[in-house]
Amino acid sequence: MLANGKIRLTVAYLVKPNFPMTNFSTHNPLAAAHYADAARQYAVTVQENVPLARDTYRLRLHCPDLACQILPGQFLMVRLAGSDDPMLGRPFALYDTVLGPTGRPVGIDVVYLVIGKMTGRLAQCEPGSRLTLWGPLGNGFSTEPVEHLVMVAGGIGQTPFLALGRQFTGQRVYGQRRRSESPAARVTLCYGVRSESYLAGVSEFQQAGIEVRISSDDGSVGRHGLVTEVLEEVLAEPPAATQSSSPPPTLRAIACCGPEPMLQSVARMAHQHQVPCQVSLETPMACGIGICFSCVVRVVQPDGSWDYKRTCVDGPVFDAEKIAWE
Amino acid sequence: MADGNSNHGNSNQADLPCSSPVDLSVTLGRLQLKNPVLVASGTFGYAREMESLVDLSRLGGILPKTITAEPRAGNAPWRTVETASGMLNAIGLDNDGIEAFLANHLPYLASLDSSLIVSIAGRTQQEFVSLLAQLSEQEAIDGVELNISCPNVSGGVDFGTDPALCERLVTVCRQACCLPIIAKLTPNVTSIPQMAKAAEAGGCDVISLINTCQGMAIDWRRRRPLLGNVMGGLSGPAIKPIALRAVYQAAQATRTPIIGIGGIATLDDVMEFFVAGASAVQLGTVNFYNPAGSMTILDGLPAALAEAGASRVADVVGTLETR
Ligand SMILES: Cc1cc2nc3c(=O)[nH]c(=O)nc-3n(C[C@H](O)[C@H](O)[C@H](O)COP(=O)(O)OP(=O)(O)OC[C@H]3O[C@@H](n4cnc5c(N)ncnc54)[C@H](O)[C@@H]3O)c2cc1C
Ligand SMILES: Cc1cc2nc3c(=O)[nH]c(=O)nc-3n(C[C@H](O)[C@H](O)[C@H](O)COP(=O)(O)O)c2cc1C
Ligand code: FES
Repeated sequence: MLANGKIRLTVAYLVKPNFPMTNFSTHNPLAAAHYADAARQYAVTVQENVPLARDTYRLRLHCPDLACQILPGQFLMVRLAGSDDPMLGRPFALYDTVLGPTGRPVGIDVVYLVIGKMTGRLAQCEPGSRLTLWGPLGNGFSTEPVEHLVMVAGGIGQTPFLALGRQFTGQRVYGQRRRSESPAARVTLCYGVRSESYLAGVSEFQQAGIEVRISSDDGSVGRHGLVTEVLEEVLAEPPAATQSSSPPPTLRAIACCGPEPMLQSVARMAHQHQVPCQVSLETPMACGIGICFSCVVRVVQPDGSWDYKRTCVDGPVFDAEKIAWE
Repeated sequence: MADGNSNHGNSNQADLPCSSPVDLSVTLGRLQLKNPVLVASGTFGYAREMESLVDLSRLGGILPKTITAEPRAGNAPWRTVETASGMLNAIGLDNDGIEAFLANHLPYLASLDSSLIVSIAGRTQQEFVSLLAQLSEQEAIDGVELNISCPNVSGGVDFGTDPALCERLVTVCRQACCLPIIAKLTPNVTSIPQMAKAAEAGGCDVISLINTCQGMAIDWRRRRPLLGNVMGGLSGPAIKPIALRAVYQAAQATRTPIIGIGGIATLDDVMEFFVAGASAVQLGTVNFYNPAGSMTILDGLPAALAEAGASRVADVVGTLETR
């Protein structure tokens, strides 16, 4: 009994059950627990803020605690320290962790596109500027082994895929995990941009062992057209040039991030090809931790109806089949 | 007091816990809280979400998101929009209904070492009464807050704007359960004193105010409202002056203890509400943009009270000097 007469319950049953990591296609096997279980609020210093492409910057933050925990597909909320304008934090995906001299993660990179108030202010941050952030947030992508991981990015939607790709090529380990026993035989990024000037980080992806296939709206780089056309080509190819000796049960899986119409098209294609597909949603958020109920998306329920679910705690990564697209 | 500067009022040193020079506990009618810093309904989820960011046991009280009799899907997005020093919301009381609350959220909330005040909303008096009947059976609940002020739901809002309906509802609720009752008022009325008096006449233990101020945001290029629900409720620092005024007026008009809400983000804000007449405060929007803000406020509260010459919160409540 506690002082106030309440009975303290054991917390064991309060922990939401982890989804069994069995089948890529039938579950959204959450990489982390539902809630912001490990999130902490940090005051951090900007170490670098460098342009990568048109209106696109990479922000490097010193934050060892967060860097040791955050997983591909998870995100953090960022706010300017000491300024209430803008008032609310903004969500940004983990781009990658930064390793210290001993090989332990000491910082994180965020890549952002300037589109409004906060991203405009961030672009002006000098090294040494202070930011407030909280994370790690959200579930992250599935770590289920797969022979061929196809990542599909629309514009700035590419940001979660360097870390995810590195995890699947076996190049880097995230969080408290052990190195993957069975890296994917092939990791492809289908990357659609408006125009060549917006293309960011391609050499980094390639150095990570990720095959990059580009499309652009104006034909200035890669295939002239939509990223879904590139995806169609990739899906027509065999999953891997040489199959692994003991390929995992899932031969191919898609992970996708970008504007909603693109996510919807990719989800439809994945369904047609019977390829499991995860989508990472960029719903506007006010808190990122599940307390405001503003970031909702329509998620299909077991009985076939839909209910609004919070992207920040039930996502941002969802099984594409579970989204009741508008 | 150890530092010997307690010459304020007739504070009784025997009441003070021997370890702390300032007594943070507050008594609001039948409601006893270990400190006056609570978190507002709808801005703290069901508390578990905040478990790793906040030491929940330090909070004076937790108000989970308002629950209704039946599950409600809530409004279509966009549900929130940032505005100057604030935000608009039209969540629409998205919740899974009381049954799900009792099954899924109450066990966790009951396990916390912090007072639990459950916020309820109904479209009819009968709905409030049946919600109260279900809650009364729960030992873990320390009080209820009647959300008669949510601007995003049609039906329930009349209780907050019509004094006669408000008084009647509070009276009936008071008869329906023995838990301490907080009436949460809306600022979207002509006369705060009139509404506060009505709630008091109905027999509430505490008046809390304010809920959000009705507002709108527009994209003129597309000639569209930014909120899915067209209109919504404004919260955050932008509404603090309105809230201070409302608390001051309610305190002048009634003898019922008051919980101040609206734009509170810093320790100074908290102290201002005490001076205006609030005996406790609820933090709302600040939880979104400074999740650990409640802890910072609690850290500094004893020193701020001491600076005001107070040995307990009541010493500063309603001490505003207007001439
Ligand atoms: C999980 C997650 C991860 C993300 N990762 C990244 C990332 O890695 N890199 C990156 O660049 N971006 C990322 N984003 C998007 C990023 O959060 C936004 O670009 C950022 O919030 C913009 O802030 P701003 O203040 O610059 O723009 P704002 O000034 O807030 O708004 C910019 C635009 O958004 C629109 N908008 C404003 N409010 C709303 C609303 N309530 N609903 C819908 N639209 C609205 C406005 O009309 C305007 O056109 C991510 C989003 C999520 C949810
Ligand atoms: C996103 C959001 C949701 C809210 N939901 C509720 C609710 O369910 N019940 C309620 O009584 N008040 C609700 N409120 C109102 C707050 O509890 C509070 O009264 C108001 O926001 C003013 O305080 P603040 O400026 O500190 O946020 C909500 C406010 C916000 C911003
Ligand atoms: S952003 Fe607040 S609940 Fe998801």
